[in-house]
Amino acid sequence: MIKKRFNPITDKSSEIIAFLMASPDMPNDLDLRFKIELSVEEAVENVVHYAYEGGIGWLEAGTSLDHESLVLTIELRDAGVPFNPLEKADPDVKLSADQRQVGGLGIYLCKKMMDSIEYHYEDGNNVLIMRKIVKDLKK
Amino acid sequence: MKVTINKQNEKTLVTLEGRIDTTNADQFQHDIAPLMDDERPNIDIDCSGMTYTSSQGLRVFLLLQKSVMAHHGTMVMRNMDSRVKEVFDITGFSNIITIL
Repeated sequence: MIKKRFNPITDKSSEIIAFLMASPDMPNDLDLRFKIELSVEEAVENVVHYAYEGGIGWLEAGTSLDHESLVLTIELRDAGVPFNPLEKADPDVKLSADQRQVGGLGIYLCKKMMDSIEYHYEDGNNVLIMRKIVKDLKK
Repeated sequence: MKVTINKQNEKTLVTLEGRIDTTNADQFQHDIAPLMDDERPNIDIDCSGMTYTSSQGLRVFLLLQKSVMAHHGTMVMRNMDSRVKEVFDITGFSNIITIL
């Protein structure tokens, strides 16, 4: 896994996203990159804004690519407040503009854009793993 | 992200260019704030140059749509990039904002 620890992460969202998107594990295909970048942004933002409740903390971001299955894995790890973003109910996307609440779409977009997302709490860390098949698009 | 607002008689033409993401969503909200002051808004947004939006951008579009409805106005978005359109489709925003 290619990874880097950012500490502190206050105002570091863009730097963390840029690090992940510059990884050689990332595909070149623009449609795939769009979906991956969007998911990365939403997941990183979640940690930067909420994990440490205003305090200073770290985030470790990494990527790996299985060259057999062409599954790209993105892993985010932090030592913030235990929080499983996947437990949050999906927004009701059928509501009218009047009824829609502002916000709450970030993790939902990750779920839709990636092929799988899993969360676990391990050794005092939140670990979020997002996977995307980048098949057919690599030489 | 570049926002151009051009008020013509009864209609307000808006052009969006670039990306709306975590780094500039607050600026974007600030830039389009004048659109929320129109008495009876009639807003036409050309999105052909908009290449990306995260949920931060969607948040601002929802606020704008709510404002337009509260003022009994209309708003359309045109020429949306297919990848950006998919974000609007997935989140149901295509049903609450008129996309031509």
